[in-house]
Amino acid sequence: MSKREVISSGNDLAARAAVDAGCKFFGGYPITPSSEIMHTISDLLPKVGGACMQMEDEIAGICSAIGASMSGVRAMTATSGPGISLKAENIGLAQIAEVPLVIVNVMRGGPSTGLPTRVQQGDVLQAKNPTHGDVKTIVLCPGSLAECYTETVRAFNLADRFMQPVFVLLDETLGHMHAKAELPSLQEVEEGIKLRRQFVGDPADYRPYDVPDDEPAILNPMFKGYRYHYTGLHHGPTGFPTEDAEVCDRLIKRLFNKVDAHVDEIESYEEYLLDDAEYLVVAYGSTSLAAREAVNRLREEGVKIGMFRPITLFPSPDAKMKELQERFGNKVYMAELNMGQYVEAFERATGMHRDEFVTHFKANGRPISPADMVAKIKEELL
Amino acid sequence: MSRIIMRFTGVGGQGVLLAGEIFAAAKIKQGGYGVKTATYTSQVRGGPTVVDIQLSDEPVLYPYANDGEVDLMLSVAQVSYDQFKKGVKDGGDIIIDPNLVTPSEEDKKRWRIYEIPVITIAKEEVGNVITQSVVALAAANTFTRALDDDLLIETMLSKVPPKVHEANKKAYELGRKYALEALEKGPLK
Repeated sequence: MSKREVISSGNDLAARAAVDAGCKFFGGYPITPSSEIMHTISDLLPKVGGACMQMEDEIAGICSAIGASMSGVRAMTATSGPGISLKAENIGLAQIAEVPLVIVNVMRGGPSTGLPTRVQQGDVLQAKNPTHGDVKTIVLCPGSLAECYTETVRAFNLADRFMQPVFVLLDETLGHMHAKAELPSLQEVEEGIKLRRQFVGDPADYRPYDVPDDEPAILNPMFKGYRYHYTGLHHGPTGFPTEDAEVCDRLIKRLFNKVDAHVDEIESYEEYLLDDAEYLVVAYGSTSLAAREAVNRLREEGVKIGMFRPITLFPSPDAKMKELQERFGNKVYMAELNMGQYVEAFERATGMHRDEFVTHFKANGRPISPADMVAKIKEELL
Repeated sequence: MSRIIMRFTGVGGQGVLLAGEIFAAAKIKQGGYGVKTATYTSQVRGGPTVVDIQLSDEPVLYPYANDGEVDLMLSVAQVSYDQFKKGVKDGGDIIIDPNLVTPSEEDKKRWRIYEIPVITIAKEEVGNVITQSVVALAAANTFTRALDDDLLIETMLSKVPPKVHEANKKAYELGRKYALEALEKGPLK
């Protein structure tokens, strides 16, 4: 199947991916640097029988998307960090009620209104725990324009598979950079679509939340004769609230276990020039663009260095990171546009403290350039 | 061409972004890689804006110009000229609109600085200030010889509404003419 070559931006590609993946509803509220997603999708959705609604605020944006998803269609919202803060409560609703949803966060400088037009990767831990209570989120982080497309498509499939919100973390750089991208054919995307499961038996027997301990709820589209209850309260097999200790215990454990037991279906990462490497660079998202160039420049000088790039940030690739740490020891350089958020995941997975390897953090709204990386690596790692 | 790096700077609202998109698209059409990345402030109008354009036969990974690697900068606002000039390599070219940017004596020694009144050309000779990005596009291409003019014009026309095709063609011709004159005259001393 032939690939498609396009000239586009990350935001535009995320919107196109959503429509190609069968998304039929977008609810949101414009915010820099994510607004182009809504701009593009508002043009595309009506042409495929879908709808895009600009709501009165961020909260209504996610609520409308959750409602659309409850009715059975693929739905998305997109925003930036301040918008995620506002959506926080309803992200929790989608988690506990098991409503599939794709949430794109085009990260900008924070906290608060921060640096609206500038890049940061400051919402990584927010994506891991975006709401109160215990949740197990799925967080994908594209590292190229093409991945802004392919990871958004994957997010829709994972949302339907695990019946929960899936985050796609872009950042201002990826969202706004404009260049060539090679995309899979539309046929390949459409053949890869895996919609949520549906119960097909007698409606009288339908118990949507009565599923095995490592599987998501089976929620049929509303208004089709299969009756059940949606709630943010802890609930039993039919969705009605309960405070039964055993039922609540089983529910919260299942919400974690449905992800943990199937990490192999979610995990995704890239290993770049690691085969003969003696030094390890860890980077993700737009920072990996600079890191890849830094690795190339150092390779030209004869330095045996390679890069590990997590694409699924959470659940984090703990086993892989542990394996790499055992191989590279403290010859590790990790760069991110925040004060060390993903380093926490690396520390937890490897048992190594950040003081033991080289870290490069920046959170002033500016990217780390390949030249800056090369200089830091030469000074502190080699 | 191995890699040509250009930087267009102005203030928000002037429309310098479009020129970058046209350059990138034309290079890709010709075969190769083109990347346009803009940086701007949260001011809707009036904040310093910079667009980095990298055209290369090899893939471009990092989307911003590395400081000290810019071959040509074009500037139509003092605030952005001051902020972004350090990205230009020593001995590199800078095109300024003399009505809006005044370089220091030191700058004239470090870079080759040329004057082209981009805004005045668009406003008075083309009759539509919005065509300034096309005047800039033509001037930059005349300086760098990055791409074939016909290809660039064709790409440009595909990105602007038909009703302004004639005005933009005129803007391109004028941009090229003024750039050739500026090159002949030589940099500021």
